[in-house]
Amino acid sequence: MIRGILIHELDDALRVEEAEILSHVHTLDQLPEPSSYRDQQISFAPAATPVRRQFINFTRLEHHRHDEWQPYRQLLFPVTVKGQVYTASVTKSEEETEDLLAWIMLVTAGMILVLLGMLFMANRLLLRRIWQPFYQTLDGLRRFDLSKRESIVHAPTTIEEFRHLQTVVQQMTEKIRKDYEMLRDFTDNASHEMQTPLAIINSKLDLMIQDQQLKEMHHRQLQAMYDAVGRLRQLNQSLLLLTKIENNQFGQAAPVALEILIEKKLIQMEDPIRVKHLTINADVLPCELQMNAYLTDILLNNLLGNAIRHNYERGTLNIVLRQEFLQISNTGAPLSFDPATIFDRFTKGGHSEGTGLGLAIAKQICDNYGFALTYAYEDGMHILRIQFKHSMTRAGHSEFRQNAVLDSPHE
Amino acid sequence: MKLLIIEDEKALADSIYSYLQQKDFVCETAASFTEARDRIEQYDYDCILLDINLQDGNGLELLKALKSNHKRDGVLIISARGSLEDRVSGLQLGADDYLTKPFHLSELGARVAAIIRRRHSAGSNFIRLEDILIDVQARSVTVRERSLDLTRKEYQLLLYFAYNKGRVVSRNAIAEHLWGDDTGGNYDFIYTHIKNLRRKLGEAGAGDYIQSVYGMGYKLTIS
Repeated sequence: MIRGILIHELDDALRVEEAEILSHVHTLDQLPEPSSYRDQQISFAPAATPVRRQFINFTRLEHHRHDEWQPYRQLLFPVTVKGQVYTASVTKSEEETEDLLAWIMLVTAGMILVLLGMLFMANRLLLRRIWQPFYQTLDGLRRFDLSKRESIVHAPTTIEEFRHLQTVVQQMTEKIRKDYEMLRDFTDNASHEMQTPLAIINSKLDLMIQDQQLKEMHHRQLQAMYDAVGRLRQLNQSLLLLTKIENNQFGQAAPVALEILIEKKLIQMEDPIRVKHLTINADVLPCELQMNAYLTDILLNNLLGNAIRHNYERGTLNIVLRQEFLQISNTGAPLSFDPATIFDRFTKGGHSEGTGLGLAIAKQICDNYGFALTYAYEDGMHILRIQFKHSMTRAGHSEFRQNAVLDSPHE
Repeated sequence: MKLLIIEDEKALADSIYSYLQQKDFVCETAASFTEARDRIEQYDYDCILLDINLQDGNGLELLKALKSNHKRDGVLIISARGSLEDRVSGLQLGADDYLTKPFHLSELGARVAAIIRRRHSAGSNFIRLEDILIDVQARSVTVRERSLDLTRKEYQLLLYFAYNKGRVVSRNAIAEHLWGDDTGGNYDFIYTHIKNLRRKLGEAGAGDYIQSVYGMGYKLTIS
């Protein structure tokens, strides 16, 4: 288009030249001197018949200009001087036009780029400001932790959609929190309701064995009752514990030195270990984790207790602790059930006196901390392995990285 | 010694009453919050067994009232709520100990005896069983001036029997007291520890006070 305008300009100049030549001929009745400059040539040639007035484009090889093809615009028109018809031609180089065109294009493109850049920046800033309440709500949702009693903080906004979103999020979290608290109350109440009858049975048994009139057969029956009540008590406590862990009711993670805890546990369990004449191989390197101390204790208790309980007489128990994993393996008869169900509740071998909840609890604790607990049976050994999340040992880094990943979509 | 049992579950209150009632303990029971409040205001007790989940009020309020009146009664909280927060808040309010239901009466007896000993025989950290003398402060045992070399478990066993003297203590109660839930389902080692304890006491010249009761429990008898 710009080219069209420029050609039009050029044509105008050619026409002016034509008019000048015509007026020269008209007043003096003779041809002007042909001229040849770099950008404009005028020439006349005698012709038999008047040529049709026309504009033409052509290119010509220019020797003095590095043998380049140069574009020209030419106006041909007839001139009559003293009865003789001539063909006049006015030729102008289009080169300048081309140069001008290139410059105009360049400047225009530059302007467009600058404008686009500014538009982009303005858009970004504006969008960020507009979406800010949304991202703050999103961030609040991400940080939302039921076990902490913090509400989500919303940025004030005039945008109705965001206000709707904030209200809905607020209502939803309130409802979740209420349900959560009801569940917690239920857990506590269930505990109360079941523990008291158990306490009564237990206390009556304790009183009964004081009776000196009892025969040995009564004692045997009482012992069976004791054991049954003991199992009920453990079952009840394990179920409550499992619910509590599931509901994430244990906060307060603190650095825990696992190697020291394992040593302590082994001392605590030395009696059961000695009775079974077990060989303990502990290959333990320092490993610090961010965990709740009580849960760590239960986790080790259940894993080591299992490895002792389901071991052979004079069997072995191997413990390997590294920064990345804890592996506890023990000799023992192969499972009498599907290994895939080993972490399910109430899965246990027929001979087991346990509740069948020990490994379910261990699994739940591992899940809560993002650890992978796996089971394998190789060469007559039951192998339980906890793969710690690598980043757990460097909590600060992991948190930073996680945030960076989550932030990227709206950056 | 005067004890108050605050427990709204009558069957349990009766059990505790019969177990603790003996010649030097006088037990009273209160079956409700209001009854307990009246009792506490009127009398002083050496130890109060406090169930905090009462029908008509929170037992912790009684504890608060006790402390604000500067009463010196020892308090053992009995609760079905085993959660850590309850335990911590109970002890922070000034309770001496915390016991979660269900419990063995022998465990309760030992805790009550320990509270009373700490509160009332100030300066006296000794428990005497005929010719056996237990120094609770130093955690050491002497028989006729001769010091005994007991392991930690043996010492704990002897102390447990001493607090429950004259009563049959079940094997399950001993296992729970000494090992918690870490027994691995095996009680055989209790027998080993008791055998060793009896041997050491016998070698030092003490009487054989610990008897086995049909393999289901043990009893320390001082005639």
